[in-house]
Amino acid sequence: MNPSLKLFLVLIISVEVSFTSKLTVNLLLVAAGLILLLWTRPSGLTLTHLLLIPAIPAGALALTVGAFTPAHDWFFAAVLASRVYVYVLLGSAVTRTTPPLTLARSLEQNCHLPAKFAYGTLAAINLLPRIIRAVKTIKAAGQMRGVTLSFWSPRLYFKAILSAISWADQLAQAMESHGFVEDQPRSQAQVIPLTGRDWALGASALLLVQLALVALP
Amino acid sequence: MTQAIDLQKLTFSYQAGKPVLAIDQLTIPRGRLILFSGPSGSGKSTLLRLLAGLLPKYGGKLAPGARLNLTAGECGLMFQDPGLQFALDTPRHELEFTLENDRVPAGEIPARVTTALKAAGIEALADRQLATLSGGEQQRAALAVLLALDRPLLLLDEPFASLDVANRHQLMARLVDQVAAGKTVIIADHDLAGYRQYRPLVVAFDQGSARLLEAAAADQRLAAADRPVTIPARPTAAFAPALTGEDLRLAHGDQELLVQPTLALPKERITLLTGESGSGKSTFLSALARLSPYQGQLIYAGKELSRFSRRRWGRTVGLVFQHASDQFLNVTVGEELALSQRQGRQPYFTPTKLAAALDQLGLAGLEERVVYSLSGGQQKKLQLLVMLMMGQPVLLLDEPFAGLDPASVAAVKELINACQACQPATIVLVSHQLAGLAGWVDCHLHLTQRYFTDQGRVDHES
Repeated sequence: MNPSLKLFLVLIISVEVSFTSKLTVNLLLVAAGLILLLWTRPSGLTLTHLLLIPAIPAGALALTVGAFTPAHDWFFAAVLASRVYVYVLLGSAVTRTTPPLTLARSLEQNCHLPAKFAYGTLAAINLLPRIIRAVKTIKAAGQMRGVTLSFWSPRLYFKAILSAISWADQLAQAMESHGFVEDQPRSQAQVIPLTGRDWALGASALLLVQLALVALP
Repeated sequence: MTQAIDLQKLTFSYQAGKPVLAIDQLTIPRGRLILFSGPSGSGKSTLLRLLAGLLPKYGGKLAPGARLNLTAGECGLMFQDPGLQFALDTPRHELEFTLENDRVPAGEIPARVTTALKAAGIEALADRQLATLSGGEQQRAALAVLLALDRPLLLLDEPFASLDVANRHQLMARLVDQVAAGKTVIIADHDLAGYRQYRPLVVAFDQGSARLLEAAAADQRLAAADRPVTIPARPTAAFAPALTGEDLRLAHGDQELLVQPTLALPKERITLLTGESGSGKSTFLSALARLSPYQGQLIYAGKELSRFSRRRWGRTVGLVFQHASDQFLNVTVGEELALSQRQGRQPYFTPTKLAAALDQLGLAGLEERVVYSLSGGQQKKLQLLVMLMMGQPVLLLDEPFAGLDPASVAAVKELINACQACQPATIVLVSHQLAGLAGWVDCHLHLTQRYFTDQGRVDHES
């Protein structure tokens, strides 16, 4: 399915889920998300992370609503908990089937998002490993100067923000030096198709969710 | 051939009243290989960025009245630090992005990507994450993009700083091909060694001024840089060891870098590490600083490194990073110096000696400056100074002379000697630049085929 359409479908479903409280629909969406996720053959560790980490906010939410509100509404608690899993599983179903570059290309080509945003965001994502390494380097640099920087040290954040500012400027220069000119048309190394099949698939998925929301208890 | 590049009354400054570049008139012929030569901080990089149109757009001010018969679209620029020039994740994606920007038709993109990868010799790295590539490999990837850009004017800022001689010749051959195809290639390099055979024109930079040298003067400069360098060294076994390694293994991702059954780094001596770019020298230093994982044992003072607390290890080992800006923790030069004065244990640096050292390194009077606004060479010298002041018993230097001119290299070496005389440290240094190191280093280990070989000879004369 077309990456942009997939992204918008999941966003629309998530918004709908946020404003309705139907447990069956949520559970069906969780099941669908899980099947899509298993389709991508995740490693055991990834799967465990995806299932266990949301358990913390989901459990906390459910417990607060179920045990600590005057109504003791355990049904609503279950709805809230299942919502968290809907977001996480549908979200990961998108990210695990769509490489970031493909999504950026799709947003640029199919949704006519300015290339500056599509590639700027992508470049920022690609900075992530550098950010992690930078934090480690800053801590070591501190240690070697007799300064221990814990994760709440203002100095650590000062350095990190400074790095981020200089990276932002450098990134703009990097893109420009590789021929990028704002608002100038570009060619496409990989054309991301948006077919009638994509639209049909998206529309029927959305329709199915609407039907379920109306029909199911 | 189109007319020569002509610069008139070009005055550029980052700070009002302190021009870093003041060129009255300069003509650069096209279709040639041109070298920008001069000490660090003399304005070479600034002029390249001006030609490429990145300046004054991204900072600084060009004085009115400047004339330049060149458009930014004619130039392709390769940055001094190639890691900062990539927006995407892999060399292939970066090349595709670049060609898309240039509106190359989709059908031609795959072939052009392959050609560029082949020219830079990085076909095998096409789909590797750029963040995991070594400095030298990143430079090749940046060169691949530059070749793919296909501009009439190619600008390269210290393109060979992390490459060894063999790789350098290979990449120079590609650039010479470009010149033969009618393009203009401008390389800024403080080190002119190895360029003479390509018969380049030389533009000499000095404190912001620039002039095209006459053939004889240029040749003299190139020849001087080419005098062979041999590094006489003694075997590491001749000295007591400070750090020893056993069954040491280092890897970079899935690529094994070092398999070393035994290793000894001599105590309170200077040991030089050399080897091909990407061979793992920097990774080795970073393992010693406990910033990279290793297998096997590294022993200091009878204990495995992992048994030292981070804090204790930070006080024992100082690593001078390859990128100077990584070292700084404060905003101004003065604050950086004050921190090292407060925490440092090197007794050599009394206030008078410190002032003298600042003067010698050309850093005097810069106390109020923001460290990140210093030139690359000034940052490097400040970084070395603040780390020398810390006085750790083990000091690791990763390319300490990169981007420094001979006078600065001499000043740094002199300062290290003075510190060694006062409170000796075990110094391990990685450097591609070998000029001036002969007679200064005690031992020399060369990393080849995942193994450090001792280059030292027993000296019978002494």
